[in-house]
Amino acid sequence: MIVSSALITLVVVPLLVAIASLLLPVRASKALSVLSGVASFGLSLVLIPAVVHHLRVGTGDVLSVDALSMVFLVATSFVYAITALYAVGYLHAAGSAVGTRYTRRFFAGINVFCWAMMVATLVNGLALLWVAIEITTVVSALLVAIDDTDGASEASWKYLLIASMGLGIALLATIIMYYAGSTVFGSAYDLSYVKLLAGAMHFPPNAVRLAFVLAVLGFGTKMGLAPVHTWLPDAHSEAPTPISALLSGALLAVSFYAILRYFQIAERALGPTFPRNVLLVFGLASLLLAALYVLRQRDLKRLLAYSSVEHMGILAIGMSFGASIAIVGVLLQVLAHAAAKSTAFFGAGSVVRKFTSKDMTRIRGAVGVLPWSGTMLVLAILALSGMPPFGIFRSEFFIVSGGLASSHDAVTVVLVGLVTLAFLGISWFTIQTMLTPDATTARPGPGAAAATVQKGEVSRLIVVAMALGILALAVLGVHPPAELSTLLAHAARELGAPK
Amino acid sequence: MTFSVMAPQGIQVLQVATIVVGAPLVSGVIAHVEARLQGRRGPRILQPYYDLSKLFCKETLVTEESSWVFLAGPVVAFGCYLVVPLLIPVLTTYGLPLGYMGDIMGGGLILALAGFAVALASTESGAPYAQLGGSRAMTFGALIEPTVLFVVFVVALITGTDLPYAMAATVRSSSSEIVSPAHVLAAIAFFLVVLSDTGRIPVETHAGTLELGMIDEARTLEHSGSSLALLQWGSAMKQLILYTILINVLVAPWGLAATGTPRAVLLAIPALLGKAIALGCVFAVVDNLFSKLRLFKITEFVAAAFLLSVLAVFVFYAGGG
Amino acid sequence: MHTVPSTFAGVADVVAILVLLTEFAMLRAPLLRSQVRLYAFQSLVVTGLALYVAVARHVDGLYALAAFSFALKVVLVPGVILRLLRGADADLSGSPVFGVATMTLVALGVSAFGFFTVGALHVHSTVLPTPALAIAVAVVLVAFVLIVLRSDVVSQAIGFFSLENGVSVASLVVASGLPLVVDVAFLFDLLVAVVAFGVIMRVHHGRKRTLSTDLLDQLKG
Repeated sequence: MIVSSALITLVVVPLLVAIASLLLPVRASKALSVLSGVASFGLSLVLIPAVVHHLRVGTGDVLSVDALSMVFLVATSFVYAITALYAVGYLHAAGSAVGTRYTRRFFAGINVFCWAMMVATLVNGLALLWVAIEITTVVSALLVAIDDTDGASEASWKYLLIASMGLGIALLATIIMYYAGSTVFGSAYDLSYVKLLAGAMHFPPNAVRLAFVLAVLGFGTKMGLAPVHTWLPDAHSEAPTPISALLSGALLAVSFYAILRYFQIAERALGPTFPRNVLLVFGLASLLLAALYVLRQRDLKRLLAYSSVEHMGILAIGMSFGASIAIVGVLLQVLAHAAAKSTAFFGAGSVVRKFTSKDMTRIRGAVGVLPWSGTMLVLAILALSGMPPFGIFRSEFFIVSGGLASSHDAVTVVLVGLVTLAFLGISWFTIQTMLTPDATTARPGPGAAAATVQKGEVSRLIVVAMALGILALAVLGVHPPAELSTLLAHAARELGAPK
Repeated sequence: MTFSVMAPQGIQVLQVATIVVGAPLVSGVIAHVEARLQGRRGPRILQPYYDLSKLFCKETLVTEESSWVFLAGPVVAFGCYLVVPLLIPVLTTYGLPLGYMGDIMGGGLILALAGFAVALASTESGAPYAQLGGSRAMTFGALIEPTVLFVVFVVALITGTDLPYAMAATVRSSSSEIVSPAHVLAAIAFFLVVLSDTGRIPVETHAGTLELGMIDEARTLEHSGSSLALLQWGSAMKQLILYTILINVLVAPWGLAATGTPRAVLLAIPALLGKAIALGCVFAVVDNLFSKLRLFKITEFVAAAFLLSVLAVFVFYAGGG
Repeated sequence: MHTVPSTFAGVADVVAILVLLTEFAMLRAPLLRSQVRLYAFQSLVVTGLALYVAVARHVDGLYALAAFSFALKVVLVPGVILRLLRGADADLSGSPVFGVATMTLVALGVSAFGFFTVGALHVHSTVLPTPALAIAVAVVLVAFVLIVLRSDVVSQAIGFFSLENGVSVASLVVASGLPLVVDVAFLFDLLVAVVAFGVIMRVHHGRKRTLSTDLLDQLKG
């Protein structure tokens, strides 16, 4: 009873809030958005014990959660909550530059975007999953374009086009998977996970193989796997910061979730080798490319974007190891990356606003200028590079030990090497821009010279949002709650660690 | 009835005779229909025969610079056009003795030899426009050649042999074959090839006198008298030969004589000419619907034909024979 | 020797081929307007194929699907884009990266890949013949070529929509029993995507005063 009402609330409320945002006064829409975000996160936490107990809970044929989708629901709703909070501060700091119209559209967009992402994790079936993810593309492309600058229009066009092409391929994958299922279930059935997983053993292997590769390629485009990641840095850097945080923290994870659903089926139908190898190839390519691009990046938000590509690569490689500890690591990393990357984007947004430039050669002594959010940005970036005591350290440790346990020694060495390379690139940036003591050593930019940068926080809400993110990271790193660990273990088992 | 079955050799001669005698008629009808479509009264249907007889009566002029090649070209070409009808199903469904002398490729090569002889003769004339026509004809001929090859491939793939008789038999064997995609695509591709090889719009205006856009027509500019007559007759025969291949091999191989009875064979002659004229009317309509392509745009036309023929092969391999 | 496919299969394949040929025609269409019309024609052919399957194979759900897809893809989407073009007063597309013959050859090579990949997978369907699936995959791949090689927003958007047409043909082949709700959801998504494409095309045109994407080269690295 609680479960089904929670699920229905999650599916209905954000959408209602989105509509309300377009109609109600700005102040009310802000408050409602934050409330809806926090409520969603709360509800998803409430659902955890039920899922841990029953493994799969749902209402009707359409909505259901199991341990796997629960992990992604928690990640998404958490990013939703802190981003809604951050967005209020972000728009407040923008002041009178933004009109009511803009604010209304902005909040409506954020709510629909998060709604679609949460629906993607809640629906029970590959077809609806595709539909939900397509909606995220459309909404987020419009949100990327909302600032109406040259960069934003270029980035949104590239994003919409490339992501739509990817989803076109994913649609083909869905249809071919449907075909594979129809050889067992007959020509009319719904693509629900339970059914597909039950019958997967008897699916024609060639069709499943084709569907899986197409799904990795298609949803991988949205997830930012190289070589189909090309939209990602543009969209992440040109979008308004709350949108960047949502894209990077939640959307990439949801796309990964879609791939995992196909992975589950492919693993049952084909045995583990083929799907793992496919993920390994894409993962290594992404990691390599991202590590190299991080080294030569001058744009702060693009740097974070490439770091996302890197982390997606790590997730794919972690899945390819197959050891259950590595899979637990991957799922933990999904949570930790969601918290770390959105926090980092929040901090970057404040820095960019202060220095009116994304160019890192023009940003100096940011910690001095922004004592709270600057420091937390440094912490978030350290977390992203896998420093203890944060969650990503724990998850990457799991992944690496999983790699060694499943005797993927060479890949593990490459993984560690490339992660270190990216770490070097990112720490160089951190020292340069954040910790150089003197703000006046920066190369003066056009318009706003660095010397005129005022000390002080952009908005108090931003600090709160970032603090929540850092808190979550620390909790995940130091001592994850027992229920969460059980949830991750269940999810790892669902992902078919060999029996 | 003195004999119930005609000698195969006799039928073979009749095949050639049908092409030789029928070709100007088909050309005349097409010219007439075309004129009617454009709202003109147009020439008489038998006008090509009058033209030919008049040209044969005239003297042949040869420029001082030309050698014997200039005069030999038209004769060789005409000879080639006489050979090709031996190889293709003009009147009968079954192969005649000399029909197995060469396959589709053989026929194609002989047609190419004829084109080559005419081009050589035009080059030999020493006149710039004729030379231009000759070189253009060879260039575009080379461009369209891959398409012809692929059409032959499709035929060969479908029938397992490259004899035109076998293809026609396959088409007759089942109505499904007509709508099978590989076959449809190959037929359309060959239709485009015929458009290009007979010098019709959109590749060339066959009735025009604009030298800059001329291809086939320009080759004969310097010829006169009986040479010119042979060339014109030859090109009419080439047109009818290509029509025959398109009709009797790919599209509508019906109305052919299945046995050697005189009645069947003699009925096959009007059937062929009727089908050829019907096809000619289609070409006349195409002529009126489209405008001539710029010379450099002809590659697009060729690309389209090539596309169709290659797709035909792909589709065949995918199982859509 | 080979087996001659049945008449039903032959007709279905020829219709599918027509979809592919339209895709090739879009590749060369120099006028943006004619490209949109070609898309409308292609959608019409796809709708026709759906109807043909519905009649010949007695799949009732496909009647409704055909009606939806006619309303959406033949009438609504081309209408929206043509309206947009009327406001943009730009008729010709920017010059494509390659000449027509080269583009055709590239697209041909790509579709060869599609044909032989599908051929190698031995996917068989009871509703439509296998070549139709190969053709559908080729349509998708040629749509990619269209998107990559044409440098204006309209061609690229049309490329995406026609990609969806290719997927529709594929779904007719292997998934004609797909629940109607799901089909309609797919189409609804297409509609939403069209709106987004329209909005962003407008934004682009508003900022750059052109439909060409040649100016979209600021973000790199």
